Amino acid sequence: MTSVTQAEHYRSRSRFQHFTIQSAPLLLALIMLAGMAALYIGLFYRQLSRLPGNFEWTSVVNTSMPLVFAAVGQSIVVVTRGLDLSVGGMIDLTNGLAATHMHAGTGSMLAWSLLVLLIGGAGGAINGILVAYGRLQPILVTLATLSIFQGLAIKVLPEPGGAVPLEYTKFLANPNGPWGLAFVVLIGAAWLVFRRTRFGVDVFAIGNDEEAARAHGVRVRATKVGAYVLAGMFSAAAGLFLAATTTSGDATSGDVFVLTSIAAVVLGGISFFGGRGSAIGTVAGAFVLTLLINVLFFADINPLYQSFFQGLFLVVAVLLGTLIRRLVGMRG
Amino acid sequence: MTSGTESVAPEPRWRQVLASLTPDRRRVLYAFGAAILVFVVGDLLHSGFASTASVKAILVIASFVGFVAAGQTFVILVGGIDLSVPWVLNGAAILLVTSSLGRDGRAAQAILLTLALGLVTGLANGIGVAYLAVPAVVMTLGMNGIMEGLSLGLSKGLTCASCASYAPKAVQNIVRSDVLGVPADLFLWLGIAIVITFLLNATTFGRRIYAIGNNDTAAFLAGINVRLVTVVLYMLSGLFAALGGIVLVAYGGQATLGMGDPYLFQSIAAAVIGGVSILGGRGHYLGALAGSITLVALVSVLLAENMPDWGRSVVYGGAILVILLLYGRERRHL
Repeated sequence: MTSVTQAEHYRSRSRFQHFTIQSAPLLLALIMLAGMAALYIGLFYRQLSRLPGNFEWTSVVNTSMPLVFAAVGQSIVVVTRGLDLSVGGMIDLTNGLAATHMHAGTGSMLAWSLLVLLIGGAGGAINGILVAYGRLQPILVTLATLSIFQGLAIKVLPEPGGAVPLEYTKFLANPNGPWGLAFVVLIGAAWLVFRRTRFGVDVFAIGNDEEAARAHGVRVRATKVGAYVLAGMFSAAAGLFLAATTTSGDATSGDVFVLTSIAAVVLGGISFFGGRGSAIGTVAGAFVLTLLINVLFFADINPLYQSFFQGLFLVVAVLLGTLIRRLVGMRG
Repeated sequence: MTSGTESVAPEPRWRQVLASLTPDRRRVLYAFGAAILVFVVGDLLHSGFASTASVKAILVIASFVGFVAAGQTFVILVGGIDLSVPWVLNGAAILLVTSSLGRDGRAAQAILLTLALGLVTGLANGIGVAYLAVPAVVMTLGMNGIMEGLSLGLSKGLTCASCASYAPKAVQNIVRSDVLGVPADLFLWLGIAIVITFLLNATTFGRRIYAIGNNDTAAFLAGINVRLVTVVLYMLSGLFAALGGIVLVAYGGQATLGMGDPYLFQSIAAAVIGGVSILGGRGHYLGALAGSITLVALVSVLLAENMPDWGRSVVYGGAILVILLLYGRERRHL
């Protein structure tokens, strides 16, 4: 297709069509979440002849929360056309810090939560500065800092252990009800605000076309650093949630989030080519991944094959997404 | 390399030669320089570190990274990446021991079968990336999960009867027997390095790879079958990951779960330290080879220094950053 016909296509689309095409990935992510939840409920019912209740949904929400945070942080970086592999190391480190230093009492819990978030932000700033001012490729920078953060995490917590105060678990990962959803709502609201701030618009502008953004006066380097700082803080939050759900620490438990955060971003419909997508989709993607594990369990699938189905699901979901988007796009 | 053919001049010859090299070739030299530097520093800190026996041992371990990095270099040269390396390697190692059952008579078939497994996974990756337009990160990440699940499921978590088999003696000899005083494995590595260097620099296929990496639209318009070349490169990456699995199981004797995990990041780091641009279109395998040696030698120095785990991890990451800052930077904007 030449650019002329593309431009004509663009003009001939109605407002509604524009909206559908723009939001298609997000809608797909939400449809996928609904489908996966329905599948989970169906399989659960077949096995236990009752619907999943408060306990089951609470567990789904609480086990999803660390991934939700890690993946939302990843989304912001991916929108700038970057990638953050250091997510895993940062979760290791912050999870270890929380498990070793946090004591009972509101003061200690609040102080350490803030400190851990600041450490996450500082780690993200190192990534951002190396990417933006050091002119290095994000994937390489974060590969190196992943190793550094992992090392520091082992220093902080050489063996799995430590403990998180009970009240902390109750606050972040209350086992009596899916109160974690409140954080999801907060993230959603924060995202809608973020999209309307200058910073948010700049992040998307950089992802769409960095040179054009620069020409329009976007402070590309500062904005990039900001994106990585946010990602670091979200990873730190993920580390805190992980410590709260597992009530202890493990300096390697964050490593899986390198790949699962990318998977959630992809399922959430955020484009790897930058500048497109919504963190709300990412949240849906994170829940889809958690639900998938439950679905596999209730479908009586040998847990050894779990990764096989996760990998297959990721590829098939992306393929279907591409296919559907093409169909929607062609109609316009 | 290209030395010696330049005309005589009064200025220092080495400087002339260096100036006559392309930036990419200079990076290969830097990578070798870094490798030698690590050995020299290691020997100063720890006398005997650069002894023949020690260098041989380090080179053998570096060759495992080097084989995997060969495949990774191919896909990185067209701007791709292969994240499926860990479990393609691990699955290959398991397939080798379970299909050979440790018997020399079955070694040849087992090796062929294992390499075929690598080619098939690479084919699937390549079709996904080139024909179905799945981003390389996603496709190969998914493939890693698929191979992990298959490896674990089919071997029942490596508890199957044949899973405890050793690699056949003939295969173990790749790493353990010396030819002319040098481990056979190093000759294999040298041979592969020569073939790849020839392939990349002196064949049309090699020129096509660089053309695609620099600008795939231009390459397509110039009549290159971009998709087909991409598929072949992912197949090569799978092949080399499988080869990595074979030599690793030859070295360790048995397959273990998770044995491929370190090789993902190490193979990417080795290629990049060797001057292969992650954006594609620039770099040589000789650089990745030097990068593999640098990485493994660095880890060996830190081990010899009795540095604790956490310190090794931090120094390792720091060293990669320093090397990147020295010569991995992109051009300034505007």
